[in-house]
Amino acid sequence: MDKRRIVEGLSAIVGREWVISDPDELTVYECDGMTYLEKALPDVVVLPDSTEQVAEVVKFCSREQLPFLPRGAGTGLSGGAIAVQGGVIIGLNRMNRILEIDLANQRAVVEPGLVNIALTQAVQDHGHYFAPDPASQAASSIGGNVAENAGGPHCLKHGTTTMHILGLELVLASGEIVQVGGKTLDYPGYDLTGLFVGSEGTLGIATKVTVRLLRQAEASKTLLASFRTIDAASEVVSEIIATGIIPSALEMMDRHIIKALEEWLQIGYPEGAGAVLLIELDGPAAEIEAQAKGIEQICAQHGILDLRIAKDEQERTLLWKGRKGAVAAVGRITHEFYLQDGVIPRTKLPQVLREIEAIAERNAFVIANVFHAGDGNLHPLICFDSRRKGELQRAIAAGAEIMRLCLSVGGSITGEHGIGMEKIDFVPLMYSPDDLEAMRRVRVAFDPSLRCNPGKLLPTTRSCSETNVTYRPHRVEREGLAQRY
Amino acid sequence: MNSERLEGRLAGIVGADHVVAAESCAPYAVDDKAPKAVVFPADAQELSEVMKLASSERLSVVPWGSGTKIGLGGIPARVDLVVGLTRLNQIIDYEPGDLTATFQAGMLLREAQTSLHSGGQFLPFDPARYERATIGGILATNSSGPWRHRYGTARDLVIGIRVVHADGTLTKGGAKVVKSVSGYDMSKLYVGSLGTLGIILEATLRLYPLPAVERTWIALFLTGEAAGCAVAQILHSTIVCTRVELLSPFAAQSVGRQAGCALPADTVAVAVSVGSMSEAVDAQIAAIRKLCHQERAVAGFLVEGSAQESLWRAICDFPSASGDGRSWATLKASVSLAKVLETIHRAEALGRDLGLESAAVSEAGCGIVRLYWRGETGSPEKDPTSIAKGVEELRRWVLRDGGSLVILSARPAIKASVDVWGPVGNALFLMRELKRQFDSQGLLNPGRFVGGI
Repeated sequence: MDKRRIVEGLSAIVGREWVISDPDELTVYECDGMTYLEKALPDVVVLPDSTEQVAEVVKFCSREQLPFLPRGAGTGLSGGAIAVQGGVIIGLNRMNRILEIDLANQRAVVEPGLVNIALTQAVQDHGHYFAPDPASQAASSIGGNVAENAGGPHCLKHGTTTMHILGLELVLASGEIVQVGGKTLDYPGYDLTGLFVGSEGTLGIATKVTVRLLRQAEASKTLLASFRTIDAASEVVSEIIATGIIPSALEMMDRHIIKALEEWLQIGYPEGAGAVLLIELDGPAAEIEAQAKGIEQICAQHGILDLRIAKDEQERTLLWKGRKGAVAAVGRITHEFYLQDGVIPRTKLPQVLREIEAIAERNAFVIANVFHAGDGNLHPLICFDSRRKGELQRAIAAGAEIMRLCLSVGGSITGEHGIGMEKIDFVPLMYSPDDLEAMRRVRVAFDPSLRCNPGKLLPTTRSCSETNVTYRPHRVEREGLAQRY
Repeated sequence: MNSERLEGRLAGIVGADHVVAAESCAPYAVDDKAPKAVVFPADAQELSEVMKLASSERLSVVPWGSGTKIGLGGIPARVDLVVGLTRLNQIIDYEPGDLTATFQAGMLLREAQTSLHSGGQFLPFDPARYERATIGGILATNSSGPWRHRYGTARDLVIGIRVVHADGTLTKGGAKVVKSVSGYDMSKLYVGSLGTLGIILEATLRLYPLPAVERTWIALFLTGEAAGCAVAQILHSTIVCTRVELLSPFAAQSVGRQAGCALPADTVAVAVSVGSMSEAVDAQIAAIRKLCHQERAVAGFLVEGSAQESLWRAICDFPSASGDGRSWATLKASVSLAKVLETIHRAEALGRDLGLESAAVSEAGCGIVRLYWRGETGSPEKDPTSIAKGVEELRRWVLRDGGSLVILSARPAIKASVDVWGPVGNALFLMRELKRQFDSQGLLNPGRFVGGI
């Protein structure tokens, strides 16, 4: 259909100023946080301001048989917000209101475009906070967090986004508006709220989100422990958990990250540090005092090089500075990097990290590691330079090897970044055709037209007859690294 | 297919020793509807074969763990075959360092717990009838108890799942690691679906370390308001409780008797437990004690060790059988935290109007209120319509506040006169569509779930 008609149709719903169709302006939307594999321009971007407008836009897409997808802040790392088949991107940034804060019941109702950190900022003076804290929280939207089931360093103790989402208002692909869950718990019926969280925009568009707010802990304590080797740090991780302590965060950085950070921020990690653990405890003061003592003892037994304990909020910020800057710091030691997100059982850490090191050596790459050690969620950064012939391809191949490695020890190919487009061809390594068929049934129940964020999360079969969408090979497929089933 | 032929076909799959037929099926009746046969598969393969047979013969199937939650749900449309899961009772995987374990559905919670305790860990499930409850049954019904205050329910704890579908297909969802966002979170779909989308075969769950010390403070109050204020104070403090329970006078008395600690009549009890290192437990119990005192608690006790265990078991298992043939109708109201007390008061007032005895036990920090009604002494066969009427009236009020009211168990005569689930809002058509996608012949627990699913 011709683009002018799309623009006119959508302008009639939201107003011409909220429809973006200029090719230059559309470039902003050609990708999200996944910048290296694929880019694609939407035909149009539309910025509605209400649930009703979203519903009207979706109905328009339905009438015109256009694919569409929701987009929040575009910080996703797996390409979930890329309009791989063109169509309409529905940007939810204008819908960023806090609709209700109900502290007596520890709930809030917000619009999807609200930036994650803004919710905590709105309630922190009353002693509450919104627990999910992905690294992107200063930019990413709560709707995006819902779509990806975002994690973050503190989900070790407080759980991923799904545990904090209690209800949703959804616009389905048909344009119908439905409510699932709500402010109270245990709604009768299937747990559609839980099913929707992490569905990467393929089941519909969330237009209101009811969240749980947590009470701030009485106290917190942040420790930074440096070790000579990754193995020693991994043993400390295992032992902390084995003694029954669940820190609120338990993060590890390897020697590559340490080196990059030292060059950039001069954090002052000790000479010879091959691994750094950032450990945070929160809870009643008496509890974390006792736990911190226990952790100090465990560290001492494993040849700790240096232990720093934050005395105040300022020092805490300093200790976190390295962890928060870790991914950015890697930019100083490489032209580009390919960020992985595999998960392994915590007890397999030393073994898997050794094997990742071997993959790096075989490929003559640096693979830097900064990750959520407490829950086994790895973030290997494969450093490469696409200007050198074949390097991108080898980096992607090394990424595939790491995913297979994670699966071979009973893990997952993604802990918090999602499948999106990036890992769509690797999903069949984790799930059988029957497993995927069950997921397809969910997809079809919500959106029989399959026009809601097509080409994400679920691999379509090569000869997919149920869509009118043309088959388009993924980059890893074009380059002979994987095959469709 | 006639019963004898069915029995033979089933025996061909699982062996004659593992099929129950004819009159022997009576104990497996669901709301007085007895199945034609009960079959006990030994493994995934046999279960899959049984389902293939059921779907080719269009037999309706009721999955059955130990039957402790079989009262949940509407009266089934049909009960042809009960599939017993007690032979699927193994721990598949347990690695204490990972704080996860994988169990087969028929495993008794009690036995799972024994194995986990040896690793210094536990599964924070404490549903009613703990002694007999199975992991699969708890998941299918998303049953919970006081521990949900700190640890959530099955929906929060399941990280991976394997199910057998109506046509015998075996699928899995999730993973065996605590974080995974690969594909849809299928565990959420099956947990709490009452076996209507598939039969849970095994599940991987997140575990917790056993606290070094756990102690409980019970405070008694002359009024529900005072008890409610104390609970609110505790919830809005920085104290981290593992359980926060509010018991109406009737429930408090009965629980006290069961647990061997006599509580004075006509007092509302608040039981709060804290688990941590010893010094942290003491400090927090002291703070709880102080808050309760400020809210005019008339008495308080510290409970620990085996007495603590009996106390919480009695709370979970309330109401124990009364022995005079009067059975309780059990309801679960889910309301906002601020409405817990009012819900209990309304239920009690309604009960009085309808000539019913009432009791209430509430996970007050979660807004969950378990309500109990039964006929007064001397009128055991109270007209079931009075309870049904009470449910409808109370439900109207609960819904207005955005909550829900579900019947957890009641005699079939009551269930026949009122929807056990109540309305589920405007997403019911999506639920029906999911059911159609997963069980197009409507064989799994037909009629027992919301909206007649």
